[in-house]
Amino acid sequence: MINNNFTQELKDKVKKLITDNYNDFKPELEKDLKTFLETSAEKLERWATLYANQEINDEELEWLLKSQLDFVSLQALQAAGISKIKLNKLKNNVIKLIFEIIISLITKRS
Amino acid sequence: MKHLKLITLLIAFSFIIISCDSTRTALFDPYSYQKTTEIKIETTRIMDKATTPYQNQKQEVETLLFEIEKLVEYEKNKPNNEITFAMWQVLNDKEKNLLAGFFKRWKTQEILSPYFVDESKKQILNAFDLLIQYEINKDKESKEQLLELINLNS
Repeated sequence: MINNNFTQELKDKVKKLITDNYNDFKPELEKDLKTFLETSAEKLERWATLYANQEINDEELEWLLKSQLDFVSLQALQAAGISKIKLNKLKNNVIKLIFEIIISLITKRS
Repeated sequence: MKHLKLITLLIAFSFIIISCDSTRTALFDPYSYQKTTEIKIETTRIMDKATTPYQNQKQEVETLLFEIEKLVEYEKNKPNNEITFAMWQVLNDKEKNLLAGFFKRWKTQEILSPYFVDESKKQILNAFDLLIQYEINKDKESKEQLLELINLNS
C-alpha cells in the first residue's frame, strides 16, 4: 500500500539520483522534474497504488507516465505559448527514472 | 466637435486593428469550439468500449480519427493559430501517449484492462479540456483587449 509520504520519498530519491548521476545537467533536470512532480503528484500516487495492487501492469504504468509527460507539454503550451517553451523538454530518461523509482518504492513496500 | 469625435473613433479603430494584428492569436472560433466538444464526447463514448475487442469498434475509431484529421487540417490553416494546432498535434500523434496513442495501443493489444482505460480516459479528457479552455480564453482575451482600448480612448 502506498502511504502519504510517497511523493516526498519519490522527490528525495529523484533528487539523489540526479546528484549522483546527472550532475552536469542538474539545474535544468531538477527544474523539469519539480514541474512534473508538482503537477502530477496525485496521479503518480494513484497509479502507483494501482500498480502495487496489480490492477495495471508495467507497460500500462509506463504508458500512463508518458501520457502525463504529454499532458504537461499541453499545459505548458496553453499557459506559456509556443514561443516560450520547448516541447518535449523533459527527456525520456527522466520518465524512465521516475518509472524505476516508483517500481523500486513499491517493491520495497511489498 | 463632430470632427473631434470622428478622429477619436478613427484612432480607437486603428488601435484595435493594430492590437489584433500584434497579439497574433486567432480569435475565438465557434466552429473549433463546437467540433472539439463533439469530438471529446465521441471519444469518451468510444473509449468506454476499449475493454472489448478493437476489431468490433474499428469502424467507429476510424471515423473518429478521420473527423479529427479534418479538424486538425482546419486548425493548421487558420491564421495565428499555432498554439491550438500544436496542441492538436500532441493529442493526435500516434507515437505519443494521448488520444491517437491510446487508439494505437488498443489496436495493438486488441483489448485493454478496465483500470487502464479508466486512467487513460481521464488523461485524454483532461487534455481535451485544455484545448476547449484555450479556445474559450481566446474570446475572453479579445474582449478584454477591446474593452481596454475602448476605455483608453473614451
